[in-house]
Amino acid sequence: MSPPDMTAIPANPPRRALPLHRELDRVWRNGPGLWGQVTSVSHTTLGLRFMATAFVFFGIGGLLSMLIRAQLATPNSAFLDTALYNQIFTMHGSIMMFLFAIPMLEGLAMYLLPKMLGTRDLAFPRLSALGYWCYLLGGSILITALLAGVAPADGWFMYTPLSGKTYSPGINADVWLLGVTFVEISALAAAIELMVSILRLRAPGMTLTQMPLFAWYILGTAAMMLAGFPPLILGSVLLEMERAFGWPFFDPERGGDPLLWQHLFWLFGHPEVYIIFLPAAGVLSTVIPVLCRTKIVGYGAIVAAILGMVFLSFGLWVHHMFTVGIPHLALAFFSAASMLVAVPTAVQIFAWIGTMWRGRPELKLPMLYILGFFFTFVMGGLTGVMLAVVPFNWQAHDTAFVTAHLHYVLIGGFVFPMLAGVAWWMPLMSGRRRIKGLGEAAFWLILIGFHGTFFLMHLTGLMGMPRRIPTYADNPEWMGLNLSSSFFGFVMTIGFALFAIDLILQAGFGKRSVRDPWQAPSLDWAMALPPPNYNFASLPGVELQQAGAAGAMLKLARGEGFLPGAPRGRREILVTSVGAARPQHVALLPFNTALPLVLALAICAFVLLMLAGFYAVAPVALIPVVGLIWAWARRAVAAVDAAPVEIAPGQFLPVHPEGGATLTQSGLTGLLFANGTFLASLLFGLAFISLVSPGPPRPVWHADGTVLLAAAAVVALLAAGALGARWALARVEAARPAGAVLIGAVIVNLLALAGLAALAFWLPAPTRHAGDAVRAALVAYVGLHIAIATLFSAFALDQARRGELTPASPGALRNWGLWQRYTLAAAALAMAALWAQEAGA
Amino acid sequence: MRRVGGMVWLAWLIAGPTAWAAAFSVAYGLHGLGCELGWPALSLGPVSLQRVAIALPSLAAILLCLVLLARVSTALGPEAGIPRLGLWIGLVATLYTMAPVLVATSC
Repeated sequence: MSPPDMTAIPANPPRRALPLHRELDRVWRNGPGLWGQVTSVSHTTLGLRFMATAFVFFGIGGLLSMLIRAQLATPNSAFLDTALYNQIFTMHGSIMMFLFAIPMLEGLAMYLLPKMLGTRDLAFPRLSALGYWCYLLGGSILITALLAGVAPADGWFMYTPLSGKTYSPGINADVWLLGVTFVEISALAAAIELMVSILRLRAPGMTLTQMPLFAWYILGTAAMMLAGFPPLILGSVLLEMERAFGWPFFDPERGGDPLLWQHLFWLFGHPEVYIIFLPAAGVLSTVIPVLCRTKIVGYGAIVAAILGMVFLSFGLWVHHMFTVGIPHLALAFFSAASMLVAVPTAVQIFAWIGTMWRGRPELKLPMLYILGFFFTFVMGGLTGVMLAVVPFNWQAHDTAFVTAHLHYVLIGGFVFPMLAGVAWWMPLMSGRRRIKGLGEAAFWLILIGFHGTFFLMHLTGLMGMPRRIPTYADNPEWMGLNLSSSFFGFVMTIGFALFAIDLILQAGFGKRSVRDPWQAPSLDWAMALPPPNYNFASLPGVELQQAGAAGAMLKLARGEGFLPGAPRGRREILVTSVGAARPQHVALLPFNTALPLVLALAICAFVLLMLAGFYAVAPVALIPVVGLIWAWARRAVAAVDAAPVEIAPGQFLPVHPEGGATLTQSGLTGLLFANGTFLASLLFGLAFISLVSPGPPRPVWHADGTVLLAAAAVVALLAAGALGARWALARVEAARPAGAVLIGAVIVNLLALAGLAALAFWLPAPTRHAGDAVRAALVAYVGLHIAIATLFSAFALDQARRGELTPASPGALRNWGLWQRYTLAAAALAMAALWAQEAGA
Repeated sequence: MRRVGGMVWLAWLIAGPTAWAAAFSVAYGLHGLGCELGWPALSLGPVSLQRVAIALPSLAAILLCLVLLARVSTALGPEAGIPRLGLWIGLVATLYTMAPVLVATSC
């Protein structure tokens, strides 16, 4: 069955919209009551819930900032003691970054993307739900710790050795390391499914170069999250291992290096700024042209600018470490990259200004926030260029100037555009109009309050005030500026409170909005307000995509697009090719389920046991995690031999791809990309400890032949496993039994695991030296992957036993093969690195 | 995307910045390695081994970008526009960020 030519597909005949809606609603809607909300996997429900929860955390973070400003209003305030003050500023930064900004962008993207791309949901709805529950539970752990007085207190970037066991003996630092890592499951889950959805679920005929710019921004963001979060997760895992088991990755006395933490943290931390900025810029590129009644200027240049930012932002991380004693040449590399990244940012700024120049801007509420963005973000960008210059950086480092700069960038570059976006899409989300006047008042309070607070902090910083100090009794000259900052901080808070009240009033009491109230052309407005869970009664082809929201709305509702209704009682969406978006097959999405919540609770049990210090028991909690993931995968095997589906008159598509990749394969590829970044970061750590760390050298340890033999055996066994995966797939595709091959593969993987365990037994104790600790971490990484490969092969064997492996649908075989090959490559690299480390010693 | 597959087009799109990222990472890694192994003290003609080692990946990236720029129109036809911009990004970024290797003290 060849992919259909989009121009040759006849339209479905029009039908009555209401029966079509009822048919779809029966299949796609949430269950009734609270349980229906808990089990929902709808991107609309979860996107809204992500955003609402993020706003709650934003409120908590905002309250903490008020406590900080109250403390700093006078030089010697006794309002907060130092220990509590440390917890409060640490939690303020951590909440705003990990519990507000990232989930907010995830929520907005989850909510909007399927609507903009002309599809019914994201690629992995259960993953959306799992991400949400991990976010909520992880965030709750952090907030509970704050209420209990054991919150992290080492600053939001948790520098070692301060965050090590010696200087932070309680569980405060563990709360951050485990809680934030738990939350980041949601970030990785969101990144994978947003990327796969953009590449594989676009409406038929929507080529990459024709998709909305918002999708380009989210594609860039998702790629950055996949590359940026693994170093942070690795750093957190290593620091937790040091704190829990004494593996001295960051302990200088045993060959570790605190700078390794800084590298790993900022490898995430600086791209993070752009991870936050890109979706906000996506909002701007969406809203500005419509409010100016014109088209965006420079679509291609903006896509190229996104590309530039995605890559260049990974070459800046060391500019957070300019004062730690780095050679001149390295300083120069990172200084140059830090300045260069201003260019793609400027390209976008000029494209937006050009769009406004060409059109006729309407000064509606979202436009006010956009103007606030321009005013604020450009100033933040310019102070960023100042900080990219090394000599200035040395002077301003760790002063209030940096605090001012980062708030100009983050509030200017993220909060203002997001407020514009919320004001823009509230009629879509709530189906109601806002009450005029309140939003404008909130805007002016926020704008005046913000600049009053943070512009002055540039000056206090330049006068020498360090960040994060609770008192400044010896510098009364800072008081006037600080008092003013505190006053305006409260003005800004009143503005945010007013904004929240405006939203609540609009959602609860606003008049019903007309459809497409902004006369926007994009597909997100070509639906009922608020949208049903399925978004579109039929999916738009090229003609309806180009008709604009007003032109497409009725035709889509009457089923004139592709795949109308839900006549088979299944949640069906179209999977299209990456480039030209040619329809490839119909994917069946899962129904509502509590499985994501239960899985998140099981992971939470593991996290809590680790937090409580029950290290021996904690691995037991992973057994239900494995069992639930197994059950998750079993439920995905729904329609083994479903008949082809008629998406348009005479046009049939299979339910399984014929030759191409499934959505799950695409998702796994994304996961392996992130996984590869994790491994690369670990290898970077090994090289850093071996070459750069000034600590004592690793004690000599002579590897004998047995160790080398074990390492070679592990790699050889994994190679056999990879061959077994390929062989099993070939047999299934030829309709021949593969049970014996699969049994062999399980045995081979178990032998590899045993070989690795023997290798680990022979290696020196990881507590001896940082070099030994990194080596042990590498072995543990490989061991985890072999264990998963074993489970994968056992799962495929179970499928074979049940008769679920068919030539058209070879079950888990392709995914297992992909994992097995990655494990082989990772093991070979790890063993080579161990050998190189030994040879170097 | 009608002329080549979507993944091929995406590969062309990211080729330039990827070349920069690879050169940047390798150069930074070689810089640390060279400082540890004393490469600045070893001369290769008028320059140190350290500078040569760090400059080589940049030169390779620049050459790669130039070659791809020469071929992008043939390969992608009317869809070459944005990937061409990507290659220019790779080229300019490599030239700008790696220029300090010519002047700055190394270790």
